[in-house]
Parts: sequence; structure tokens; C-alpha cells
Amino acid sequence: MSDPQIPDPVVSEVASAQRSDTRSQAPRWIRRMRRSPVAIAGFTIIGFFLLVVAFAPFLAPYSPLRQTLRSRYVPPMEGVSLRGPEGQLGIWVRDVNRSSAGELSVGEEAYPVRLFVRGERWTWLGGLLTSDRKLFGVDGPVRFYLLGTDEQGRDMLSRIIHGAWISLSIGLITVAIGIFIGVPIGALSGYFAGTTDLIVQRLIDTMLAFPGILLAIVLVATLGTGLTNVMIAVGIAAIPVYARLVRASVLSVREREYVEAARALGRRRVSTLVRHVMPNVLAPIIVQSSLQMAVAILFAAGLGFLGLGARPPQPEWGLMLSRGRDFLATAPHVATFPGLAIVFVVVGFNLVGDALRDALDPRL
Amino acid sequence: MAVATPLERDLIQYTVRRLLIAFPSVFGVLIIVFLMVRLAPGDPAVFMAGEFAPPATIEAMRTRFGLDRPYHVQFGLYVGALVQGDLGRSTRTQRLVLDDLRQFFPNTLELAFGAMVIAMLVGIPAGVIAALRQNTWTDLLVTVGSLIGVSMPVFWFGLVAMLYFSVQLGWLPVAGRGTLAHLVLPAVSLGLGSMAIIARMTRSSMLEVLGLDYVRTARAKGLRQMRVVTKHALRNALIPVVTVGGLQFGQLLSGAVLTETVFAWPGIGRLLVDSIRARDYPVVQGSVLLIAITFIFINIAVDLLYGFIDPRIRYE
Repeated sequence: MSDPQIPDPVVSEVASAQRSDTRSQAPRWIRRMRRSPVAIAGFTIIGFFLLVVAFAPFLAPYSPLRQTLRSRYVPPMEGVSLRGPEGQLGIWVRDVNRSSAGELSVGEEAYPVRLFVRGERWTWLGGLLTSDRKLFGVDGPVRFYLLGTDEQGRDMLSRIIHGAWISLSIGLITVAIGIFIGVPIGALSGYFAGTTDLIVQRLIDTMLAFPGILLAIVLVATLGTGLTNVMIAVGIAAIPVYARLVRASVLSVREREYVEAARALGRRRVSTLVRHVMPNVLAPIIVQSSLQMAVAILFAAGLGFLGLGARPPQPEWGLMLSRGRDFLATAPHVATFPGLAIVFVVVGFNLVGDALRDALDPRL
Repeated sequence: MAVATPLERDLIQYTVRRLLIAFPSVFGVLIIVFLMVRLAPGDPAVFMAGEFAPPATIEAMRTRFGLDRPYHVQFGLYVGALVQGDLGRSTRTQRLVLDDLRQFFPNTLELAFGAMVIAMLVGIPAGVIAALRQNTWTDLLVTVGSLIGVSMPVFWFGLVAMLYFSVQLGWLPVAGRGTLAHLVLPAVSLGLGSMAIIARMTRSSMLEVLGLDYVRTARAKGLRQMRVVTKHALRNALIPVVTVGGLQFGQLLSGAVLTETVFAWPGIGRLLVDSIRARDYPVVQGSVLLIAITFIFINIAVDLLYGFIDPRIRYE
């Protein structure tokens, strides 16, 4: 028996390994993410974006579609002051009117902006939620245009808030199409090699011969314009990206010893692919998906801008921006704010993508 | 003619092989462009003749492209016409598509070239400076700048730049093509994304090279920082940058679709968008075909260039 005074090196090693295991349950990449300022910044932006999507009708002061022609092209914060009639602090709003000659006039009476005011009635989640409470609004018969109005007198802020849902769904659907079609194609092509691989690769080469947004444009030209077709088109354009990525990863994992071992033990080929190869290909897929969300949002906004995507009056950011082009000199806010919203969200997904890449694959 | 050296022989063989590999892609592009018209909901004969064409013209299109015959016959007729340089006529203007492409494509190349020059002129120095001052405020500035550069819609940047530099300051023309001043804003907005990618690439490539032994040796010899950077480090660090830059040039062709629309630049991108809106299918097909095939050949050229500037790479 060993001397109790001298610790057994093996036993103490095992014990310390067990201790460190119980101390940190989270995998290493999650711990890395938690420490990364890039990840924190990215997730904060995306979190904010998701909150906006989830609570859109509560956050948006007005309906995104309601037109008020007498308040066309109201500049941001027009008729707004930070002092009330008796000098009290707060946000006070006066009525803003555009005459038929195009002149803006500001009313006399000022009304305060309050939290949780009653406003237009809204229903959400297909009627599950219904209320007339808004996060903020004017306590009075005037409207508060924080970011101004567009050519139809619609509140820009409300439209941007409601447009967030469109951007998110474009991103999600694109990534879903890319993953559900591109990943299996890439995996089978890389794992089984041979003629299948050759044919699939030539198909992917062909799709990648249309640079950037061009493949999506070609598909929209074929399918027809509109938001649904844009989602499908941008999604299809993502397929070759995933297929190529997964194929390359599968090729590198395929020859590893543990895959050979699984094969030697008599596992079927498909089962080896699913159980042993694919889990090791997940990391690049996750990274790509975050970056792909960013690309999809940019592409869809581009198609909207070109007039090939969402149709008026949908509050799609790219489309809103294009409406601002004609009155750039007199109403620059119409083109400015939707663009800022796009940059903000795309930066968020790019940051998360970069952080994930650093965390999941430290070699890169 | 002098006897080819082994390296030249390799190069020629590689070029031929690379061109052969490109052949299926070109063929695939042809199929996709061919199918565009056939898969779109509606009558392809009407698409080719124009919505308001008289019935006789529509019937003429049907016979000419064999639209009532099987797809493989139609494809044969399509490629046959293409080989003879017959891309059809625009249904809007009745002009030959080939003439349209001849007129507009050089303008797009001019824009893309301008964008590339600006992207390299700004991107490479920015990346080098960021690498030399790693983990300082300068580095952070370049990193954040390039993040925003890749995240910004080109059309939005174009509009904002137009607002400030043309509308408010009046320094540059608002839109159109003509003088060098007309080129500045479109080229900057088109080149912005590439600029960001080139800066990123230069930074990481430079960081890698600066840590290598031969750079340390150059420093140990007592060479000045400037000389070490330009003569020793940058030369090798630029190899991957040139590749990325070349591939970016192809991407610029598709980015031009958006930039040209913003700045009313008379290029092939704007032609494409206008034609899609007007359902002018012959022009859509012609422009898409030209952009895709140009892109394929640019990629081959980049591949060959890569081996040319880095003799360590063997053509296999």
C-alpha cells in the first residue's frame, strides 16, 4: 500500500481533471465566446433586433401603413421641443401640417409625450395578443414623428420597426434553404466522391459563376418579383455556398482515424456520415449561417431597392430607402434611417459570425 | 520560336486544363440563361417578341426558336444563334442586344476598374498600418471600419455620399457618366466592400509575414522599418491580397447592378435591371450571360496570375 503522505500522481491527476470538469460544464467555445467583446457586441445588437421584432406593434407608435397626406416628408423631430409651455422638462409635440403648396407649418398647442399611452388598437401573433397600449406616444391629438415621415406621411420609425420582421424572416428562410438543401448535397458529394461528386461540383461551379447578387437577380427575373420570390431566390443562391463549405469540411474529416475506425467496425456508410462525420462539420456551418444572415439581409434589401423585391406599401428597408432617393435633397431622412437599420443589423450578424469563427476554430 | 522551358510548359498545360474545367461552367450558365425564359410563368414566344408585339411576330419567334419543339432542339437553336453572335433584339427598343452590350459593357468595366483602384489604394495601406500598429487605436479603427464597410449596402452609401458631396457641398456631379469627377462617387461606393475585404486580408497576411524569420533577419541587419516593410514584408504579404483582389473584381461586376442604378451610370448592370422591370428578356439574357462568362474568365486569370506572382506555387 502506498504511503498516505505522498499523493499518487495518477490519482491526483484524475481527481484534478474531474474537478476541473465539474467546475466548467460549458464547452470551451462557449467560454471563449463569453470573454469575447466582439461576441458580446454582436449578441447585444441581435438581441435588440429580436426584441424589436417580438414587440413591434407595442414599440411602434403608429401603424406602418397608415397614410396622413397632410404630413408628408415631415423632418425628424419637427415640432418637438424639450420644454413644455410652462418650461417643464419632457418631450412636447406640436401639430405639423404640410399645406398643398408644400409649406410646413407648426401648430400652437403642445402636448406631452408619455410612456404606456393608449394608441391605435393592434393585434399580434394572429390575434393572440390585442391591446391599444404603446410604449410611448403623445397624450393628445397630435402625432410624434421621432424619425420623420415618408412620401405618404407614414411614420418612419413605425415602418422601420415593422420592417425588422421582414429582414429577420428573409435571413432565417435563406439560411434554412441553404442548410436543408446545401448541407446534404455537400455532405453526400464530399463523402461518396466519384461521379456524383464530379457532377455536383460542376453544378455548384455553374451556380457560383453568377457573382454576388446576380444569381438572386436571375432567379427573381425567372420567378417574378415580390418578397416571397426574393426569399426563395436568395435562399437558392445560398445553396452552393453551403454545399461547397460542407464538402470541403467533409473531405478533411473523412480520412480521420475515428471515421476509419467506425467503418472498420462495420458501420454503414450513411450512418458513419451522420454519426461521426457530420458532428465535426457543424462548426463551419454555424459560422457560415451567421454570416449568411448578414448577406441575405443585404441582398434582399438590394433587390427591394432595385424594385425587384418587396412591393409598396410593405415596410421593407431596401424598398423604403429607394423611395427616399427622389427627394434626397429635401427629405434626406427617408433614405438615411432605413439604411442605418440595415447596417446595424448586418454588423450584428457579422460580429457574431466573426466571434463564432474565432471561438470554434482558433486556428483561423 | 524558342523552345519552351519546363515552367512555361507547365504553365501552358495548366492554362489549357483550367480552360477545360471552365467549359462545363460556361455550358451550365448557357443552360440557366436558356431556361430563364422557358421557366418564367407565361409564353416564352411573347417574352422574346415583347408583350405588345403583333401575333405574327410572336409566331415568328415561336418558329425561329422552335418553341413548340423539345427542349434539346430549342437549346441547339439557341446556342447555334449565339455562336453566330445573334442574341436577339430588345423588345423595348428593337435594338440588337449585341449592340446594347457593346455600348454599355465598357462603361461597367470602367466603373469596376475605378472601384478596384480605389479599393487597393486605400485598403492595402490601411491593412499595413493596422498590422504594424497591432492592438492600438489605429488597428481598432481599421478593423471597425472594415467591418462597417462589408456591412454597408452599397446603394445606401452611394445615396448618402451623393447627398453630402453632390447635393449639399456641390463638389461632385450628382449622376451620369462623363468626366473623371463623375466616376469618383460611383467608384468609391462600389469599391467600399472590396476595400474593407482587402484591408482585412492585408492586415492578417502582413501580421503573419512580420513574424517570420527573414523579416527578423532584415531587422537584425539594421534596415530601417520602412525598408523592411516595403521591400521584405509587403512583397510576400501581398500575394494572397492580389488573389482576393482579383476575385473581388468579379464581385464588383454584380455590385455594379446596384451602384449603376443609384448613380444613373449607363452600364450593363443598370441595363439589366431596367430590362427585368420591362420584362425585356432578350436583353436580360444577354447581360446575364456576359457578366457570368466574364466572371468565369476573370477567375481563371486570377488563378494563373497567382502562380505568376508566387513562383513557389507549382502548376499541377
